[in-house]
Amino acid sequence: MRKPKFPILHVWLDELSEIVKDEGILIFIILLPLAYPLLYAMIYNTETQRQLPICVVDDNMSDRSRDFIRRIDATPEVKIATHCTNMEEAKELMRQRRVYGILHIPREFNERLWRGQQTVVGLYSDLTSMLYYKVEYLAVINVAQELNRNIKVLERQGNATTAREESVARWPIRFEEVKLYNSAGGFAAFLIPPVLMLILQQALCLGVGMSMGRSREHFRGLVIPPNKHYKNALAVVLGKGLVHFLIFLLMGIYMSVCVTRWFGLPNLGHFWEIVGFLVPYLAASTFMAMFWSSFIYRREDCILLFVFMSIPLLFLSGVSWPGASIPPFWQAVAGIFPSTYGANAYVRIQSMGASMGDCHYELTRLWILTGVYFLLSWFVYLFEIRRSVGRTILK
Amino acid sequence: MLKALNNIWKITKRELRAFSRRPIFLMIMFVAPLGFLWLFTSLMDAGLPTKLPAALVDEDDTHVTRQLTRILGTMQETNFVITTKSFTEARQAMQRGEIYAIFRIPKGTTEAALTQRQPVISFYTNDTYYVAASLLMKDMRKMSEMAGLAMTRATMRARGFRDDQIMGTLQPIVIESHPLGNPHLNYSVVLTNLIVPGLLMLVIMLTTSYSFGNEWKRGQQKHLYEMGNGNMVAIVTGKLLPQTVIYTILFWLFDIIFYNYLEFPCACGIPRMMLWGFLAVLASQGFGLLMFIAFPGQMRMAMSACSLLGVMQFSLAGFSFPVSAMDLPFQWLANIFPLHHYFVTYVNQALNGYAIHYVWTSVVALMVIFLLPQLFFWRLRDAFLHKDYKE
Repeated sequence: MRKPKFPILHVWLDELSEIVKDEGILIFIILLPLAYPLLYAMIYNTETQRQLPICVVDDNMSDRSRDFIRRIDATPEVKIATHCTNMEEAKELMRQRRVYGILHIPREFNERLWRGQQTVVGLYSDLTSMLYYKVEYLAVINVAQELNRNIKVLERQGNATTAREESVARWPIRFEEVKLYNSAGGFAAFLIPPVLMLILQQALCLGVGMSMGRSREHFRGLVIPPNKHYKNALAVVLGKGLVHFLIFLLMGIYMSVCVTRWFGLPNLGHFWEIVGFLVPYLAASTFMAMFWSSFIYRREDCILLFVFMSIPLLFLSGVSWPGASIPPFWQAVAGIFPSTYGANAYVRIQSMGASMGDCHYELTRLWILTGVYFLLSWFVYLFEIRRSVGRTILK
Repeated sequence: MLKALNNIWKITKRELRAFSRRPIFLMIMFVAPLGFLWLFTSLMDAGLPTKLPAALVDEDDTHVTRQLTRILGTMQETNFVITTKSFTEARQAMQRGEIYAIFRIPKGTTEAALTQRQPVISFYTNDTYYVAASLLMKDMRKMSEMAGLAMTRATMRARGFRDDQIMGTLQPIVIESHPLGNPHLNYSVVLTNLIVPGLLMLVIMLTTSYSFGNEWKRGQQKHLYEMGNGNMVAIVTGKLLPQTVIYTILFWLFDIIFYNYLEFPCACGIPRMMLWGFLAVLASQGFGLLMFIAFPGQMRMAMSACSLLGVMQFSLAGFSFPVSAMDLPFQWLANIFPLHHYFVTYVNQALNGYAIHYVWTSVVALMVIFLLPQLFFWRLRDAFLHKDYKE
């Protein structure tokens, strides 16, 4: 028998033409990576909560308490939706979800301040979302600190003779608060980059898994067609893998260039650096998908197997939940998925402008994973080829 | 009536036999939800992340700054893993992802403070890691504010003021914050209560459309139709009943572990949360069935729709990013998802302990999602009779 000249090319063309014909696979490898990032970016597009309605119970009714309330109303974070006469009324509004927080100014607010004593203002926040608490607390604490400085300087220590002296009394030590890499503290800028990487990996798994399930269904449990081009495991692994790898390389570039530009997400990364990162990430994901897919016997099974992994993987990546707080066992589990390193490396390159050298750890791990999963899927295909040969002989 | 019940029982038995033949199905039903339970309860064991790694750049290095940094070191969220004099070194560590924040005391801070020349200290948080950055920012801000106040306090003590007078000057207005229902801001309480049931609900949606689709795939749909005597309610009930029972038991197990064993707040009592859990199971099954009816006979399309929408419902539940902050179309869209309604019910009932009538819309919505497929049973019947499996 004459050996085919380029078995990789045959396998590659075969796989490509099979994929193009199968709309189920196309959904996962074309539609999903194209549309899902847009959807997610649109959900979080508003970046943060602005003008959250809260209500105020002003038991003091003095010019100072009104000044306090006016200043809070003027912050971008919250707006005073209503004034209530007592706490019961305010709580009722909260239960009806018409307001998300209550600011309570005590009866002796102004009197205590005049007497030079401390006064306590209560802030009650709804916890349906953690962000509610955060924005309310920030708005109120900022206003309170500003007022505190005014009181300190103008009323308690009213002996400043120059503007400079007053400024020093106000701020004996100044401080600067710098939010690096996501200066607006936005949600999309924080969450979308790692989600993009997860979408890549999950879509790859679904696409490869479905194509594997399809082969098994067509060739009665075998993953390769009984065909002379499929005799060399290395060629089969590389040929099949290359199809998915190349498609997803395009998708990766689409996400990191187009989606990022359209939605104004952080894009500090240099194009070739991003490509240099995407290559090992996608290679590792492709071979991982090929290896895990070998457990799939029907095309729909891969949806069952891969879809719900997305949410736990996002948490394990250490971007949404701080990696430093993940127990060692789960860190080890996270270590076998490329997305863990992929999400971190991508965030670092794109959002933080890190160089390839700064991502040395992640990139090395990705190459190691690529090697390991490549070997594993090679074994899978060696085994499958032997099985298919055995079956042909039996026939 | 009796005959219909008998048919339901026959279909149920057939379904149980089908489960036993599909190990992957059993794995998804049992192993996955319990695995998630284990993962998320151990992941967020500490509640709020504490002792997050940060760097301290003390260029001044005097006894005053050391006192300052010692206090900062005792704070709950901050753990200075790097102490250095070079800002570049700290910045590089941040870019390598080893730390989430940098606290910087520039050279001459002490001197400037003592001579009243307003030194500036600064801190940098890496907000691409949002949760860690927010927590560290809170600590460092409090610390910087206090550093200035400590200076004033020292001056005032020297002038002979009493401590209560001093506090009345330094911090006349004190903000006392009360995060309702979760006073320790324990992330685990809310997040686990959202993610673990949410993943179970995703599994339910997928397995519902999977097990219906499988009938078409195996070409058994006509057989099933005959077994149920063409009665759609009997067929659907018989087919989904085993899953309803299994998932409800799992849900109740979660409830017992959460509220009894882990002692998460549950103001409404465990039995009522179990009732909402049961409703959530039914609504998720309704959602899965609805997706199947939308793509009759096309198992894969139904499952794809379930997975695409099902993963999205975590974002639209609105815990981390509130629904009220999203654009209007997404606020509407959130209402079609069982998880959103379950989460609203959970927060109102278990966390806040509000009366039932404040969440009646969500409870009704769960029931509507469960019952909605009945309106389209004609389409399902049509699928049974005329539709074949389509790849």
